[in-house]
Order: sequence, then C-alpha cells, then structure tokens
Amino acid sequence: MTHAAVNAMGPPSPTARGVDAYDMKLGMWVFLGSEVMFFTALIGTYVILRFGAPGEWARPGIVLSIPITAFNTFLLICSSVSMVKAYAAIADGNPKLLNVWMLVTIICGAMFVGIQVYEYQHLIHRGLLPSGVREGSELAELVANGTLPEATMGLYGSSFYTMTGFHGFHVTCGVISMLYLYVTKALRGKYTPQDYRGVEVVGLYWHFVDLVWIILFTIVYLV
Amino acid sequence: METATRKHPPYLLIWLYLALLTAAELALAFELPISQNMKLLLLMILAVWKAALVAMFFMHLKFERWNLRILAIVPLPLAAIFILAAMTEKIW
Amino acid sequence: MLASLFVPEGASRAGWTEYAPLSASFEYSGSNVGQMLWSVSIIVLGLSSILGSTNYITTVINNRAPGMTWFRMPLSVWSLFITAILGLLAIPVLAGAAIMLLFDQLLHTNFFNVAAGGQPLLWQHLFWFFGHPEVYILILPAMGMVSDMIANGSRKPVFGYHSMVFAIIGIGFLGWIVWGHHMFMSGMNPTLGTSFMVSTMVIAVPSAIKTFNWMGTMWRGNIRFHVPMLNAVAFVAMFVIGGLSGIFMAATPVDMHIHDTYFIVAHLHYVLFGGSLFALFGAITYWYPKMFGRMMSERWGKIHFWLTFVFYNLVFFPMHNLGMGGSMRRIYDPTMYDFLKPMQPLNTFISICAFILFAVQAIFALKFIISLFRGPKAPLNPWEDNGLEWTLPNPAPHGNWERTPSVYRGPYEFSSPLVEEDYLPQTRKLPTDPEPAQHVPAASH
Repeated sequence: MTHAAVNAMGPPSPTARGVDAYDMKLGMWVFLGSEVMFFTALIGTYVILRFGAPGEWARPGIVLSIPITAFNTFLLICSSVSMVKAYAAIADGNPKLLNVWMLVTIICGAMFVGIQVYEYQHLIHRGLLPSGVREGSELAELVANGTLPEATMGLYGSSFYTMTGFHGFHVTCGVISMLYLYVTKALRGKYTPQDYRGVEVVGLYWHFVDLVWIILFTIVYLV
Repeated sequence: METATRKHPPYLLIWLYLALLTAAELALAFELPISQNMKLLLLMILAVWKAALVAMFFMHLKFERWNLRILAIVPLPLAAIFILAAMTEKIW
Repeated sequence: MLASLFVPEGASRAGWTEYAPLSASFEYSGSNVGQMLWSVSIIVLGLSSILGSTNYITTVINNRAPGMTWFRMPLSVWSLFITAILGLLAIPVLAGAAIMLLFDQLLHTNFFNVAAGGQPLLWQHLFWFFGHPEVYILILPAMGMVSDMIANGSRKPVFGYHSMVFAIIGIGFLGWIVWGHHMFMSGMNPTLGTSFMVSTMVIAVPSAIKTFNWMGTMWRGNIRFHVPMLNAVAFVAMFVIGGLSGIFMAATPVDMHIHDTYFIVAHLHYVLFGGSLFALFGAITYWYPKMFGRMMSERWGKIHFWLTFVFYNLVFFPMHNLGMGGSMRRIYDPTMYDFLKPMQPLNTFISICAFILFAVQAIFALKFIISLFRGPKAPLNPWEDNGLEWTLPNPAPHGNWERTPSVYRGPYEFSSPLVEEDYLPQTRKLPTDPEPAQHVPAASH
C-alpha cells in the first residue's frame, strides 16, 4: 500500500485532480467542517438566547476581565503565527527551525489554557457559576445594586462556561497533539521537506481553534 | 520536489494586521461613543475579517484549489440558516 | 445507554426526542443518572459517527480507482457519500445540544430553563436540525442499495442515472431546511412554520423522481425475482405509501390535527420499516455471499419476505385509521378515553399481528446464522453484477485488492450489446476500451 508522495506538498498543480489534497489534509478539512457545526450549536445557542433574553444583558467588561483575555487573544494569535512559521520552516527544508517554532506554539498554547484556568478560578471566586451568580458573592452584590441585570445572569454563566470551556478543551487537545508530534516525530527528525504532512494537518487544526477564538472573543467579551 | 523554492505569504505582516484589528476591536468596544447596534455590526465585521485572514493565509485556503475552498465554506450557510431561523422565535 | 437501564430510577424517560424541560430537570422526569447517561452516550456515539463520516468522505473524494469517475460510481456509493456529509454536519449539532442538556442536568445551567430566560423551544430547534437530516441518513443508503438491487434484478441500467444522483444530492441539500415540520405544534413562529411547510413539500420532488426512475428501470426488464429484488421492489412500493402520508403532514393545517397521533406512527414506520428495513433485508441477502462466502437460503428468504410483507402491512396500515380517528402516541391505556374505545379492537388486531411479525423475524436471524455454516458456497459473482466488489474473493481480504483495479465503464451495463452475457463488469476491459488516466495518488498515510 505504498504510493509515491509526489506533489503531496506545495501549491496545486494546473493538472491537479479533485481537490488535490492528500488524504490527511482532506480528512482534516472535512473534520473541521463538523467542528464548525459543533461550535454553531454552542455559539448559536448563545446568540439565540441572548437575542431572545427576557432582559438586558450584562455590559462588557464588568464580569469578565478584558485585559487578561485581550492578552490571551494576542497570545493565541501569536501561537498561530508560530505554527505557520513552523510549517514554512519545514517546507523550506529547515527541520531545526521547525522544532523551535513548534515548541513556541506548544508553549503559547499551554499558556493560553493556563491563563483561562486562572480566569475561571477568578470568576468562580467572584461568583460566576454555570448556573448563574452565587449568593453572597461579589457579583451578587453587583446584581443587587443594579450594575448587573438579574434576569439574564443565569444565561450569562451557562453560555460563557460552555462556549469557552469547550473551546479550551479543543485548545488542550491541540496542545497535546502537537506535543505528541513534537516528541515522537519532530524531535527525531522525522519531518522532511518531502513529507511534513503531520505539521500541516495539526497546523490546520490549530488555526481553526484560533479562528473560533477570534469569533468567541468578540461576541462573548466585547459585545 | 519543487517545495524548497515555494513562496510563502508574508506571515509576519498578517500577524501585524491581526494585532491591529484586535486593537481596533478593543477601542471600538470600550472607547468609541457609538450606538450598541453599530458597535455590534462593526465588531462582527472586524471579527469576520480577522477570521478570514487566518483562514486564507495561515490555513492557506487562498492557495488551494477552488473546490477545497467550497468544501471548507459549506457549513457556514447551514450555521447561518439555523441561527437565523431559531432567532425568529422571539420576534413574533 | 444500556447501563442506564440499571441505575437507580432507571433509564431516560423523555422519549427519543428528549424534549426539555422534561429531559433537563429531575423534578419533571424522575430520572437522574439515567438521563445523564443518555446525554453522555449520545455524545460518544456522535463522535464515532462523525469520524466514520470523515473517513467515508475522504475516501470517496480521494481514493477512487483509476477510471472511477464521479458518474461511474454505483448509486449505493453515492448515497453513502451524501449520507456521510449529512452525518458530518448534523451530528455535531446534536452533540452540542446533548452537552447543553447534560449541563442543564448536571451543572444546573439554564439553556432550557424558562425561569432563568432559557428556551425549551431551542432544544427542539437544535434537536430537529439534526433530527431531520438524520431521517435522510436512514433512508438514503437504503435508496442507493435498492437502485443497485433493482438494476441487477431487472438486468437493465438504472433509468436516469444522472437524475438519480442529482436527486440524492437534492434530498441531501433540501433536508437541511425542513426541520421545523417536526415542530408545527410546538408554538413556534407561524411564519417560520409556513416556510417549513413549503420546503417540506418541495422535498417530495426528488424522492418522486427516484420512484419513477426505479419503475423505469424495471420497465420491460428481464426481471429476476431473487430475494434482494423482492425486498427492493417492496421498498419502492412501501416507501411511496410512507411518502404520500408525509404530504399530509407537510401541510401545517392538517398536521395540527394529526401530529402526535398514530397517523404519524404509520408514516414513520412505512418509510423506516417499509423503506429502510426491507432495503436492509435485501441488501444483507445481496452482499452476504461477498461477506461470508456462502449464500443465504433463497427459499427461506422468500418465505421470510412474504410473511414479513403481509404482517408488516397488517400492523402498520391500520395505524393510519387509528391516527385519523384521534388515537394519540405514547399513551398507556387508550380505553381511558371514550372516543378511542371503538377503535380498541383495531389496536388488539395490530398487536397480535405485531407479535407474529416479530416472530417471523426469527426466520431471518436463524437463516443468517445457519447459512454461515451450512449455506451453499457462493461463487465470486452470484448475482451476475457489475460492481468492483464482485471481483474480490469471498470474503474480501484485508486491503481488498493487491493491485488497484481499473474501471472502464459505469456500474449498470446490463444487457449490453457489446457482450454475450447480460452483464458487463466495470473492471472488464474490452478491446475498444481506453486505459483510464493513472493519476498519481496523493500519499495516503
């Protein structure tokens, strides 16, 4: 079952057949299609619930910390750049540079998750739970004095934790996959300019996760 | 293989672009005194713009065959149909 | 899901559709862990289906044999391909919904909790957005396999092959915009409901095209009434009945009266049993020799078919009458309503026939197992069919072919003037056939 990996990499040729993507790449794009629909369910629910909410929605910046998450957004975008630099490095025949950039990506990704965990802890401490605002907490006081709307905080907590939680879960899976490929293949020099499919495919997944966060950050934190 | 001489898009430039757009979003969300609806529209445009940049350049969709681009885009109308339809529940 | 039968309070109690808030709240359903296990099992099963779909789609796009162009693929493959796309895009929505339901149950989130601003109707939208493509997932592979079996049984090419393909694609495409017809009685936005009525009526068209094409395939064919053919023809007839009752429900004003009655039960069983299940019986019989190297018994196959066909109609056709008479779904004792009492004899008749129908299936099950050991050894191509699979040994070895075969023509070249036999396999090279372009396949792993 061996086939020559001719033209497996690089831009499509003029005589290309079909989608001109090798199996793993096509498979990853197909899988990302399903991921779009998954996040549609979660993010769509947020949009639908917020649009039809029985009262005002909390204004941005009061419950959630914008400075930390803005930095986190920047971090994730940087990790996307480092990922594509890693891809470019091996495409241009530089496996050592690939390893450097891949490690940068893994570290940035792990930091993103770490900061999110910290953010979650902080929010829970302040009183935001998946079920809404905890009694007697700091946020409960804001509800009491009218800074936060009482009618929608239940939805706020539910949608926030579900959307960002599953995004964080996807980031974590990405970090673990990259770490696995880094240790078992990149560090052992198994990627060559002729065959770096694993790098490209995990890169596609990573960029997708970044893309989802770009949308999430805007509509959850800024709107 | 002719891969070694492939030209790459300017990744760092795109990164700068993304950083600027993010800064614009933050300014828009908190500094500018415009109406909520306008803010929503502009923020969505900026977010979609950033997402498109990532998809086209980092995921190399711009350089793939047209049918792979279509394959990637197919879920989006479905998502839109679902969200818009369910939103109509609250406008009658 | 099986485990949920054994936990305290037992399994989920909200029906396969798990409508919120019944499913989301212990105080309504009375089932706690059982409900959560339902949600978890849906998520896990959904993930496996999504990955399977990814595999099918990638394989069909990338890994066809040289010469196997899109329009030389058998309709069974086309239907599996479109089904995989439907599954790929619909199941994640169900997974998301099940996650939200699980969180409502476990973490007391408020997605479907009206008191906190949630929307129970949102569950219905999410569920049926998946639920409608799901029923096309159930029927499209059956339709594809039926096309293969009918062409084989008629010794004729499928009538209107291209329109069959476009009909499959059309059903797959339209199937995304009809989900609200499961919700006409939910209190949804009436204007939205009207749009769903229109789209639901439109989706009848591609199915009708397929029905006429199946008939056109059989018309003046040299028909062999082997067991798969019997089941496939039954599929066409029963599916039409199910489809016709579907038109009734597509009309919202009519559906207001028949929703959640036995009329709906009749419809869904005609398309699922009369449709998918007959196709399944035929398909299992058809591909059994390739899977196991032996033939299933033709005699018992016919006995099973006729008994099943008769009793299946006796069970499910009267349900149309029950539904029209007002008999609702999912009630324990219809005789508690005076207006349902006159129909109780019909209920009893249906139940008796149903027990017999169930018992008859033992024939198929036993036939399946016994033929594994005592069935007649099958030749390579017992049905004299054209597809690639019939060139393989029985059962097919790992990897199927040692050398990738080349394909020279479409899959339904029956009764071809070019050869003496009444079938012409896709991989058989005639002197006039050009070699297909040996494209360099992309590296596969």
